[in-house]
Amino acid sequence: MPAWLRGLVPVLIAVAVLVVFQLVLGDSPFFVYLASIVGVNVILAVSLNIVNGMTGQFSIGHAGFMAVGAYTAGKLSLLIKDVAIAGLPTVVSDQVQLVGTLLAGGLAAAFCGFIVGLPSLRLRGDYLAIVTLGFGEIIRVVVQNLEVFGRALGLSGIHQTSSLFAVWFCVFLVVLVARRIVGSTHGRSLWAIREDEVAAEAMGVNTTGYKVRAFVISSFFAGVAGGLFAHFVPIINPGSFTFVKSIEIVVMVVAGGLGSTTGAIVAAIFLTLLPEALRTLFLQLGGLGAGASLAQKVDQIRMPVYGMLLVLLMLVRPQGLFGTREIWDILPRWWPGARKGIT
Amino acid sequence: MSDFAQHLINGVAAGTIYALVALGYTMVYGVLKLINFAHGDVMMVGTFFGYAVAQKLGYEHQSSLWGVLLIFLAAMAGCAILGFVIERFAYRPLRDKPRLTALITAIGISFTLSYGFQLDFGPLPGAAPRAFPEIITPREWLIIGDRAVVIWNWQVISLGIAISLMLMLQGLVYRTRFGRAMRAVSFDHRTAALMGIPVDRIIALTFMLGSALAAGAGILYAIKDTAIQPLMGLYVGLKAFVAAVIGGIGNVPGAVVGGLLLGLVEEFVVGYSSSSWRDAVAFGFLIIVLLVRPGGLFGRVAAEKV
Amino acid sequence: MSDEILLDAVGVGIEFGGLRALHGFDLKIRQGDLKGLIGPNGAGKTTAFNLLTGVYVPTHGDIRVCGERVNGRQPHQINHLGLARTFQNIRLFRALTALDNVRVACLSDETPVFSRQRIDELRRRSSGKSPVAGAMDALNNYVDWWRALLLTPGFQEEEREITHRAEELLRVMGLSHRRNEEARNLPYGEQRRLEIARALGTRPRVLLLDEPAAGMNTREKADLMVLIRQLRDQFSLGILVIEHDMKLVMGICEDITVLDHGVTIACGAPERVRQDPKVIEAYLGDSYLAAHGMPVPPRSPTTETPAT
Repeated sequence: MPAWLRGLVPVLIAVAVLVVFQLVLGDSPFFVYLASIVGVNVILAVSLNIVNGMTGQFSIGHAGFMAVGAYTAGKLSLLIKDVAIAGLPTVVSDQVQLVGTLLAGGLAAAFCGFIVGLPSLRLRGDYLAIVTLGFGEIIRVVVQNLEVFGRALGLSGIHQTSSLFAVWFCVFLVVLVARRIVGSTHGRSLWAIREDEVAAEAMGVNTTGYKVRAFVISSFFAGVAGGLFAHFVPIINPGSFTFVKSIEIVVMVVAGGLGSTTGAIVAAIFLTLLPEALRTLFLQLGGLGAGASLAQKVDQIRMPVYGMLLVLLMLVRPQGLFGTREIWDILPRWWPGARKGIT
Repeated sequence: MSDFAQHLINGVAAGTIYALVALGYTMVYGVLKLINFAHGDVMMVGTFFGYAVAQKLGYEHQSSLWGVLLIFLAAMAGCAILGFVIERFAYRPLRDKPRLTALITAIGISFTLSYGFQLDFGPLPGAAPRAFPEIITPREWLIIGDRAVVIWNWQVISLGIAISLMLMLQGLVYRTRFGRAMRAVSFDHRTAALMGIPVDRIIALTFMLGSALAAGAGILYAIKDTAIQPLMGLYVGLKAFVAAVIGGIGNVPGAVVGGLLLGLVEEFVVGYSSSSWRDAVAFGFLIIVLLVRPGGLFGRVAAEKV
Repeated sequence: MSDEILLDAVGVGIEFGGLRALHGFDLKIRQGDLKGLIGPNGAGKTTAFNLLTGVYVPTHGDIRVCGERVNGRQPHQINHLGLARTFQNIRLFRALTALDNVRVACLSDETPVFSRQRIDELRRRSSGKSPVAGAMDALNNYVDWWRALLLTPGFQEEEREITHRAEELLRVMGLSHRRNEEARNLPYGEQRRLEIARALGTRPRVLLLDEPAAGMNTREKADLMVLIRQLRDQFSLGILVIEHDMKLVMGICEDITVLDHGVTIACGAPERVRQDPKVIEAYLGDSYLAAHGMPVPPRSPTTETPAT
C-alpha cells in the first residue's frame, strides 16, 4: 500500500461503515438520541484521557470546555438559522453549517484550553485540579449571567441537524487522533511526562509546551462534543454542564483505566447506558406511578454510587478496567491496527 | 459608607467560617499532602448532626447555653468519628500510592456523602432544604446611624466562637507535643516515623481535629444562613479550599488569612454587582493569586529534590 | 581534542534563603575531557549538576554551554544546546519499554518545514534570543503533530530514523535484548546503563553522570569504567562524573574538583588531590590529620562565613 494512502484508509472504512449504520438505524429517534448521548460521552472521555491519562495531569473541569463548545456552536447556529448556502440542497447546506459551527465550537474551546492551560500547567498537580474545576464553574456562572446565552433558561430552538453519522464520525475522529498521537514521538513524550516530568524535561522534552498542547487538543474535542450535544437536545442550559458532569467524565476515564483509550470508550458506553437502561427498566416494570418514582431514584442514586465506585476502584483496582492497555495490543499481528508497545 | 461597613462586617463573618473550614483542609494537606475534597461534606454532616440534636432537645432547650454547647459538642464529636473512619478505611490504605489515587478517592467520598445525604430513605435527610432552628435568639446588638449598619448578636457570638476555636488550634499546633509531632509528620512522615512518632495515630488525630473544626464551622454557617441542605458542603468546601490555597496550602495562619480575604472579596464583589456572580468570585480570585504567587500568599513552592 | 569549551561555569553559586548551597564554582569541560566531581555528602555536587542543567537558577555566576549563556533557561533548552545528564536516583520512564525510553530522548533531525540548521544558525547569530527562530520552531512542531495525525511519509521516515538511532544506542550499551522490556523490570545495573543510553539519545556534547556506579559490584564498576572511556571516545564527548567510589574516580578521571560545604577546596590531577590535606580533612576529619602528624590547614574564610 502506498505510504500516503495508509493514513487515509481507516477514514474511508469508517465513513462507509457509518453510512450503513445511518441508513439502517437512523430512523428510530429514540435509538438515535441514545446513541448520540453515548457518542458524546465517549468523545468527552477519550479527549479527557489524553490529558489525565496519557499526560498524567489532573483536569476536572472538562464540562466547562464542553459548555464553551455547546454555547458557541449553538449561538452560531441560531444566528445563521435562516441562511442557506446558495446552490446546495437544504440538507447539505444544513450539514455544512453543522460542520462550521462544530469547528467554531471546538476552536473556541481550544482557545479557552490554551488560556487556562498555559499558566496553570506550570502549577503542581493538585493545583491544576482546582484551577480546572474553577474554570468550569466560572464558565457556568458567566453563561448563567449573560443575556446573550439565555441566562438560566439557556438556548432553545437550535436546528437539530446532528445525526448518528455526525456524532459517531466525530467519535471516530477523536479515537483516531488519540491512537495516532500515542503511536508517535509526541505520544511517547506525553507518556514520559506522565512517568517522570523532571526526567522528561532533562531529556529535551518541552514539558510545559507538551502539556499545553495536550490540553488544547483535549479541549477542542470537548468543544466539538458540546457542539454536537447542542444539535440534538432541544435546549441547552447551564445545568447540563455542572462540575457533576465533569466528575462523571473523570469517573469514566478512571474506571476505564487512566491512559487507555479503549478503557475510556468502554467505560463511557457502559456508564452512560447503565442508568438509561435501569431507568427504562423501572418505567417498563412499574408503569407510570411506582415505576416513574423508581426511575427518578436511578438518577438520584447514580451520584452516590459513582462516588462509592471511585472509592472502591481506588482501593481494589486503581488501574481501572484496562490499565494502560489498548485493544490493539491484543489483536493478532495481521490485523492492520495491531502494534506492540505504545507504537 | 455605611454600605461599606455593613459589607465589611458580613465579609468578616463569612470569612471566619471559610477560615475554620480552610484550617481543616490545610492541616490535612500538611500531614498527608492530600486535598481532602470530602472536607466540605464532613462539614455538612456536622450541620445535620447538630440539627438532629437540636430537634431532640426541643424548642425550649435549644437556645439555652448548655443546649447550644451540647449541639456544638455533639456535632464536633460526631464529625471527629466520621473523619476517623474516612481516614482509616479510605485514605490510609493509599498512603504510599501516587497522590492522584487518593485525590480520586476523596472526590468519591465527597460525592457519596453529599449526594448520599440527598437520598430519601432511612435516616438520610433527603434533598429538601430544612430550616436550622434558631439556637441563638437574634437580637440586634449594635445599631449605627439609622439602621444603616446593624450588628447582630449571633454575628458577634459566631465570631467569638470562631476566634476561640482558632486560638485553641494555634495553641495546640505550636505549643503542644502533639502539635510538634503533627508538624514533624507534615515535613516528612518517614523520618518522623523513624523518630518514634506514631505517624498513624497523629494523622488520625489530625483528621479528627480538622473534621471537628469543620463541624463547628457548619453549625456557625447554619446559624448564619438557616437553610441547610445536603449539597451545601460542596460549595462551601470548595471555597474554603480555595481560601486555603490562597493562603498557601499547608500554612495554618495562611488559611485564616485566606479565609478572611475570600469572605471579604466575595462580599464586596457581590455587594457592588449582583449575587449571581458569587460562585465565580472565589475561583477568579484564586486564579489571580496563583498567577502572581504560585505558592499562595504565604506558601513556598517546594523545590523537588532531583 | 578541540579547544572549544563545551561547558563553562564561572563563579556559579546559589542561595536558598540564607543557606549558600554552592559558591564560587568554576569548571571547564572540553571535548575529550573526563573530569570528576567529588566531596562528602551534602557538599553540593548534585546541586552543581542541577544548576548546570537548569533545574535551579543560579543566583551568582555564569554558565555557558557550547558558548551560549544558559542562566535561567529551561532544562529542555539547555539539553538541546548539548548537555545531557543521568540521575543519582534512577529516573527512568518506568512503564515504558527500554526502546521507548531511548526514543523519547531522540529528536529527529528531519523537520517538516524549516531545517534544524537554519534555526540553530539564526539562534547563534542573535545570541539565543530570536523570536523568528522560536516561531519557526513552533511551526515545525505544529506541522509535525499534523504529520503524525495523518501518517504522512515524512512522519514515517522520522519514526524509522528515531527507532534506528535508539536501537543503535541500545546495542552500544549492550541492551538490545531488552528493547521491548518495561524499564521497571530491568535489573539494576541494566537500568543504570539504560539511563546512559537515554541521555546519549539527545546527542549531547557534554555528559553529566550522577553517581553512575552507585549500587554496582566490583566487576560491574570495572566494566563501567571501560564503558565511560569508550563512550567519551566513540561519541566525542566531554564527561563530568560525580562519584563516591574513589577507585573509579582516580581510575578514569583526568582532573578532579573537590567540593565541601558548597565550596571548591581542591582541584587538579588525581594524585595531587588525593594528598591534599584539605581534602583529607573534609573526608576524614582533622583528628585523622592530627593522628597522622599532618598539619591542619588553616580555615579559609569562605567555608565559614554564612551568606548574608
